[in-house]
Amino acid sequence: MLEVKQVSKLYENQRGVHNIDFTMQRGEIVGFLGPNGAGKTTTMRMITGYLNPTRGQIYVDGLSMADHPKKARRKIGYLPETPPLYPEMSVQAYLRFIANLRDIPAREQKLRVGAVIEKLGLQGRERQVIRGLSKGYRQRLGLAQSILHEPDLLILDEPTSGLDPKQIIEIRQLIRELGEKHTVLLSTHILPEINALCNRVLIINQGRVVLDERPEHLSRAMGETFEVSLEVRGPRERVLAELRSVDAVAAVRDLSGDTPAQAIAGGAAAAPPDPAALADAADPAAAAEPAASGDIVRVRVTAADGADIREALFFRLANAQLPILEMRRESASLEDIFLKLTTDEPSAEPQPSADPQPADEETEVDADA
Amino acid sequence: MRRMWAICSKELQMYFYSPIAYVAFAFYVLLSSFFFYVSFVTAQPAIVDARYVVSNTTFVYLFIIPLLTMRLVADEFRQGTDELLLTSPAGIGEIVLGKYVAALVVQLALVAISLIYPLIMSAFGTLDQPIMWLSYLSMFLLGAAMMAIGLFASCLTNNQMVAGIAGFVILLVLWLLDWLGDSFGGKLKDWVTQFSLNSHTANLQKGILHGGDIVYYATLTAVFLILGMQVLERKRWR
Repeated sequence: MLEVKQVSKLYENQRGVHNIDFTMQRGEIVGFLGPNGAGKTTTMRMITGYLNPTRGQIYVDGLSMADHPKKARRKIGYLPETPPLYPEMSVQAYLRFIANLRDIPAREQKLRVGAVIEKLGLQGRERQVIRGLSKGYRQRLGLAQSILHEPDLLILDEPTSGLDPKQIIEIRQLIRELGEKHTVLLSTHILPEINALCNRVLIINQGRVVLDERPEHLSRAMGETFEVSLEVRGPRERVLAELRSVDAVAAVRDLSGDTPAQAIAGGAAAAPPDPAALADAADPAAAAEPAASGDIVRVRVTAADGADIREALFFRLANAQLPILEMRRESASLEDIFLKLTTDEPSAEPQPSADPQPADEETEVDADA
Repeated sequence: MRRMWAICSKELQMYFYSPIAYVAFAFYVLLSSFFFYVSFVTAQPAIVDARYVVSNTTFVYLFIIPLLTMRLVADEFRQGTDELLLTSPAGIGEIVLGKYVAALVVQLALVAISLIYPLIMSAFGTLDQPIMWLSYLSMFLLGAAMMAIGLFASCLTNNQMVAGIAGFVILLVLWLLDWLGDSFGGKLKDWVTQFSLNSHTANLQKGILHGGDIVYYATLTAVFLILGMQVLERKRWR
């Protein structure tokens, strides 16, 4: 459906993108991820024909962007970062203009315009002037514009930015529906969105693709170890000793002596001042300070050679009369992988989430996006 | 063709939405009426002649045409809608021509408005019809070429004001080539004044339909439209 072959866009200041190379099949929803200035928008602009690549070829459905630009562009729907709207026009007039611009036959126009208005929940606002629309509605109208001609390939640059949570869910649902018929390439800096929507993720950093993988295979691709976090009732030393004596266990890390309630409350309260909490939002216990009270032990157990050790742990602790209150498999989150791939340092640190410094920098960059 | 028409009708809508267009039209009507009043009503000339209208009105074009064209492309850049147009199936030629046709319609409206002066004059005597219509043709051709120059200036920047001023400066230079030629004198004068915007209206206003004048305006228009397309095409290679 889309082939991007060794595409580079070079600027004098060394930025730009270098040798981007990937293909997309029909029906794929690909998430395009990267820190600010990594080249996401530039790449998308080249795919849509807004910019010409310095080197390389782009094929849309077998049509070369360089040789048949008009035909190829007809197959693409594009939502730029800022929705391209004319504030003076009404919603209806704008969509009518797009329909004409996109060569939609006159007799189909009314039907199509009506259909996208309904699809994006713009009913009742047809006659409203775009200037008076809220950010969320503008974003929807931008999306309506991009799907009006039923393109085969949909390029969305941050489709959910500026929407409220309910609208985000609606738009995601819509993108998922579109993904059944169309091919979708979307850029975002909201990482859970990738997990929720995409069946493939491309991470780009400093103009190069650094990862191309299905979201669920990410941890394997990154050579992550098998880790389990446990919450056990019992005396600390005994629990630790029992766990360490299991054969398949490589390491046991004591997270804290907090009760779970305190740990969660502590994690939430500590979030704003504590930079690590930003990266560790999924794991509040790690951010909480250890307190030597209670008989609940929270530990993280790392398995030797990636084996599944959950059963072994269960039986060992059950035999020792130490009830397990919670057991959860820890997989490297997309955040961790993203940070690992987009920070310049080599990933010597096995758990980036345990190290607040690089996590802090990158998270803030990301939050600015 | 449909794409070009879509862009053209969108631009015409925009003219109706934008306050600048109304201001420009009001300014035009006010100023040209004032000139007409001074030269015809106050001065009480012995003859009825379209020249009382044409030379003054075309001078007003110098100020209002940059106002009317500055928005055309610059605003697309400012709003980010150029990304929409340039990624649509419309070619750059269609985009620029669509916008230019809209400008031409506006130019036609400008010329049509000033038909009121010959109407008034004809009440006081008989107008020479061919001279009047050829004078109006010269107004239209001159304005059409000026619109193309304004459109080109609008392609250069994403700021309307800058586009307007750039358009005005280009027009002014072409307008003043006449005077520049006068200051040189001799062969150089003949050569320079050939490029003057204004001098090619002289024949038409005398009632002479000279092919060279029409070719001049058509060429000027084409050159600036093609330059505008080139500027837009270059954006893809940034």
